[in-house]
Amino acid sequence: MSAARSVRNKVAVVGVGYSDIERRSQRTAAALTRDALHAALTDAGITAADVDGLATYPESPVFGNPRQDGIDMVSCGLAARILGIGNRLRWFSDAEPLIPVAFVEAVNAVAAGACDYAVVYRAMHNPDQGGGYNAFTHEFASGKRQWMAPFGVHRGYQFYGQSYRRYMDLYGARPEHMATLIVNNRVNAAKNDKAYFRGQLVTREDYVNSRLLTDAVRLLDCDLPVDGAAALVLTSAERARDHARRAYVAGYGMYPWEPRTLGPAFDELWACGKALSDAAWASSGLKPADVGSLQLYDGYSYFVYWWLEALGFCAKGEAWQFIQDGRIALDGEAPVNTFGGQLAEGRMHGIGHFAEGARQAMGTAGARQIKNGKAALVGCGPLGLGSGVFLFTPEPV
Amino acid sequence: MNSPAKVLPPLPLPGLESRGFWEAAREGRFAIQRCADCRHWFHPPGVICTQCGSEKLVFETASGLGKVYSFSVMYDKRVRGFEQRVPYISVWVELDEQPLLIAVGNLVGVDPKDVRIGLPVEVFLEKLTDDVTLPQFRHRERPEVSGR
Repeated sequence: MSAARSVRNKVAVVGVGYSDIERRSQRTAAALTRDALHAALTDAGITAADVDGLATYPESPVFGNPRQDGIDMVSCGLAARILGIGNRLRWFSDAEPLIPVAFVEAVNAVAAGACDYAVVYRAMHNPDQGGGYNAFTHEFASGKRQWMAPFGVHRGYQFYGQSYRRYMDLYGARPEHMATLIVNNRVNAAKNDKAYFRGQLVTREDYVNSRLLTDAVRLLDCDLPVDGAAALVLTSAERARDHARRAYVAGYGMYPWEPRTLGPAFDELWACGKALSDAAWASSGLKPADVGSLQLYDGYSYFVYWWLEALGFCAKGEAWQFIQDGRIALDGEAPVNTFGGQLAEGRMHGIGHFAEGARQAMGTAGARQIKNGKAALVGCGPLGLGSGVFLFTPEPV
Repeated sequence: MNSPAKVLPPLPLPGLESRGFWEAAREGRFAIQRCADCRHWFHPPGVICTQCGSEKLVFETASGLGKVYSFSVMYDKRVRGFEQRVPYISVWVELDEQPLLIAVGNLVGVDPKDVRIGLPVEVFLEKLTDDVTLPQFRHRERPEVSGR
């Protein structure tokens, strides 16, 4: 924990930028990444010549992760060439196994002085080939898949959906409760001009009646694969003072913990989230009462429940009650996924949550700005496997 | 008239760590990886004991008894080899040998509306091809039988 505490107040986000988000773009991931990088640099008030650090999570969405650079992912090497800084880069990280790890590395690189300005970005591609986003279509299953694919389990919502099934049965959560989150996301997305589902409100009934994929997961519990990219500019707190806006990194928690159980099992998943939540509170010195907004990973809706509980905003098994009565709305006491989450923005695979958390602390969230001056929390990932919790603050803590 | 060819699911491609599991199944045994030193069970199998660090990992015949930890009743047809089988039940079974020792299989012979967490189940072996036998699960009528 001492290493994480050492970055407190030393690094800040000073710019955030997006490309357009489309279901299927006619343009390449490389082109969308260029748009996002330049938008972030413009937001930060710097030029490409200032950038000397890059980090990303370069996963290809095609099953087996073939990595066609610039098409289904964008490496740091290509991003450097896109920016025209290939020979000036002092630090980079093509990080695994999820975008929070790229943030952790960039924060530490900046804090250590390995670079002055690090840009963390994520390029998303919605493949037309190979059966769609990370679709398993093979005759043989190896690795972890050999234990599930022969039994008809190879969609992501099945892996985590069985955890949700157990959660519902143990604690009494019902689809009508989840409807609150789904409806709230779309309301928030109306104020996010990049959101794929902007202007497409849904009702509680739309959610409950949406297509059942597996017991108890509905179509509207799942995010939508898109083409798009987003980027954040990080620099030292010292340099950040020269920028118009900044979000200080108060602390973080992160583990590369891949759950050992198949599925994974709800209890192990929850324990992962708890461990890295505790680490984030310890590293930042903050507590839930210090938090004014929460961006919680929602590749599947149910992750939001488990983040709220693991972070300590409510007890285990109570998040389905916690989200009711307007508590998570923009004007509620604990606004959740103020940008619409990736359920409403599109599958930006967690970088959307970082972008929004930073914007809330920078004060640049526009019509969805939460004006309580408190910390902005990001809980990113499926609780295990390279997930991370970050705390951004408008001022040093 | 010939019956239509059976649609096979994706078949397991064993690796160094899992060969013992699939070979045992082919021989008619449900064997789970265990550390020969600290006696901890592992599933899916690994390459080193993450409890005690031992490299002596063996496959031991297990009781095949357990309870449904959770389940997925599948309605989506976009799953290779299962397009014509929806709705089907996949179960995560907590084996009697150890807490959170979980195996995945299909729950066969149970109506989707009757599956529930805690349902006692037992393994049976389903021969798919000459090379591949899958351990599957069915409802255990006499839950008081502990197998030990």
